[in-house]
Amino acid sequence: MKHVLAIFLLVSTVVFGQNKQILYGFKEIPQSLLVNPGGVVPEEQRYHFGVPLLSQFHINGGASGISVYDIFGESSVDINTRIDNKIFEMTNNDFFTATQQLEIVNFGWRKNETTYFSAGIYEEFDFIFYYPRDLAILAWEGNADYLGYEFDLGEVSTTGDLTMVYHFGMNKQMSDKLTLGARGKVYSSIASHRSTNNQGTFVTEVVEGSENIYEHRIQDVDMLVESSGYEDIIENGTGAIGRRALFGGSLGVGMDLGITYDISDNFTASASVLDLGVIFHNSATKNYRATGDYTLDGIELLFPALEDGETTFPYYNNLEDELEGEVPIDTLYNSYTQMRPLKFNASISYDMGELFRGGKCDCLDMDPGEDNELLGLQVYGIKRPKSLQMAGTLFYYRKLFEFLAGKVTYTVDPYSFSNIGLGLAVDLGRFNAYVAADNILRYGNIAKAKSISLQFGFNIKIHRF
Amino acid sequence: MKLKKIPIFVLSLLVLFLVSCIRDTDFDQASDITATPIVELDLIYFTLDASDFFDSITNTPRLTLRDTTRIDFLDETDFQESLLRAEFLFEFTNSIPRQFDVDFQFLSVANDTTYTTSTSVLAGTEQNPVETTFIENVERPEVFDLTSAEKVVVSVTIPSSSEALEGELNLKSKATYYLEITERE
Repeated sequence: MKHVLAIFLLVSTVVFGQNKQILYGFKEIPQSLLVNPGGVVPEEQRYHFGVPLLSQFHINGGASGISVYDIFGESSVDINTRIDNKIFEMTNNDFFTATQQLEIVNFGWRKNETTYFSAGIYEEFDFIFYYPRDLAILAWEGNADYLGYEFDLGEVSTTGDLTMVYHFGMNKQMSDKLTLGARGKVYSSIASHRSTNNQGTFVTEVVEGSENIYEHRIQDVDMLVESSGYEDIIENGTGAIGRRALFGGSLGVGMDLGITYDISDNFTASASVLDLGVIFHNSATKNYRATGDYTLDGIELLFPALEDGETTFPYYNNLEDELEGEVPIDTLYNSYTQMRPLKFNASISYDMGELFRGGKCDCLDMDPGEDNELLGLQVYGIKRPKSLQMAGTLFYYRKLFEFLAGKVTYTVDPYSFSNIGLGLAVDLGRFNAYVAADNILRYGNIAKAKSISLQFGFNIKIHRF
Repeated sequence: MKLKKIPIFVLSLLVLFLVSCIRDTDFDQASDITATPIVELDLIYFTLDASDFFDSITNTPRLTLRDTTRIDFLDETDFQESLLRAEFLFEFTNSIPRQFDVDFQFLSVANDTTYTTSTSVLAGTEQNPVETTFIENVERPEVFDLTSAEKVVVSVTIPSSSEALEGELNLKSKATYYLEITERE
C-alpha cells in the first residue's frame, strides 16, 4: 500500500495539468495551433510536418498541497509525523493530476494567403484524483477518536481518460486585424473511468437506548464508478488498445475555437476554447453503484434451544447478507456520456518592438516588422470535477534571431506562486525544434516541485511553395 | 556564425530538463511508514430472560445456555499481522437475583480452543438491576491465539433456577483494536 503511495506521490509530482502557457501564442511552433486554432500562422509558412511521434511530447503533473519532498525529504522529523501533518493540512479540494500527450502525426498546409489547414492525431492521458480527506483520516487513525464524527464518503472524486484524438483545423485570416480558427475533433476512447458526485457518510456513535454500545451507520450512500474500455483490455490484451485507438471503442466528437484580434498597432488580444466535446461511452462499459443506508450494532445472540447435532443461527452470514441487501453494490453495463474537460485560454499582449527599437541600426534583426518583442498576460482555465482550476501568466516573448525565439513565463496557479517557465524554438533551415518547460526553478530538485510541465518536439517547416 | 553552437545549447537545455534530479530525498523511508489506526467496533449483544433458564415443558432447570457465532474477520491474515492489542469491553446488566458465570471460548476452524476468558456477573433485582463491567485486554503474543480463532462460543451459567425466577440478563459489548499497518517481509 505504501509503495503505491510513494509511487503515486512521485509520479504525480514528476510527471505533470494541461496548461501550456509557454506554447500558447508561440507562432514559431506549429503545435501552438493546438492551443489556439485562431492563432497567427506566420505568412511565409507554407507547410509543416511534425516528425512522426516526435512532433510533440507533453507531460504535466501536479499535486496541490503536497510535494514528494514534503514526505520523503531527508529530515530529522519522523516520516509518519510528516504524513500525519499533511493528512490534516490538506483539504478535500487538493488533488493529484497527471496529463501526458504524444503526437502521432501533425501536418499543415497553406491553402492561400489567408487560410492555413492543419490536421493530426495525438494520444492523450488525463487523470485527476481528489484527496479524500475523511477517508484518509479514517484509514490513518481509525474511528476511535472520532465518535460522533460523520466521515464524508462523497469526497471520493476521480476521472481518468486515455484517448486517441483525430483532428482537422482551419485557420483563417479574416482581415489585417482578425484571425479566426476552428478545429473539429473525433475522440476514440481507449479506456476511461469516472467517479464524481458521490455521497454518503459513515459514523460511529453512542446512541442512548440502542441495542449495543455503538451504532455504526452508513447513511445516504450513493456512490458510482463508471468505466469503459478496461474490460475489453483486460479480456483481450494489448490488441484491444490498438483497436480502441482506431475507432474500435467508444467515440466522441468535439471542437476547439480560437480568435486573435489586433486591438491597435501595439495591443493584441486572443482567446481559445478547447475540447468543447463529449464522449459517448457505449463500448465495454462496466459501472458499479452502491446505494442505501445501514446500521451495524454487532451480532445479537439468541441462544436457541438446540437438539444434538443442530447448529445455531448463521449470525455472521446473516450480517453479511443484510449489509449486501441494504447497501447493494450493483454492477451495471449501461452507456454513459462524458463531457471532455473544457479548457480555455485568453491573452493580451503588448508589442514593445516599436517602443524600444530605433529601427535603423539593428543588424541582427532580420525581420524588423512586428511581434519581435512582446509582453503580455494570459489566463488559463480547465473545468475539473470539483471546480474550475485557473492559472494566470505574465509572459515576455522575444525573437532573438531569425532562427531563435524565446518566451519566459511567470505563472500563478493552484500549485504555486513561483512558477517560472522557459520556451525556445529554433528554426534551422527547414528543421524546427522546440522545448518548453515550466517550474524551471525546481529542476534543480524536482522533489520540491508541486507541479512540472514539459513539452518538446520536432517539425519540418517549409516556407515557400 | 554561431549556428553550430545553437544545437549544443538546445541539447544541453533538453538534457537539463530531462535529467533534472531528485535530491535530498530518501525513499527508503517508505518502509518506515506505519499507520496506527485504533478501531472501535461493536461485538455481540443479547438479552436473556429468567424463564430461558427453566424448561417449562420438562419442568427442569437449564443451567447453562450456549450459543456460537463466526467472527471471520479475526483470522484474516492482514488483520492478524496488524493487530497489536485488542481490548474487549463487556457490560452486563442483571436484574435476575442470581450470579452468573459467563465463558467466552474462541475456536479455530478445526474446533480447537485457541483462547478462553470468563467472568462473573453480579446478581441484581428487578427493582435494582446491577451492572457488571468486564474488560479483557489481550496483547501480543496472546493476541495471536485470539486471531487464530474463527468463532466464539458464549456460555452463560446460572447456579440454580426455578419457574418463579424473574428478571433479565443483558449484555452489550465492543472491542477496541489497536492496529499497526506497515510493510511486512
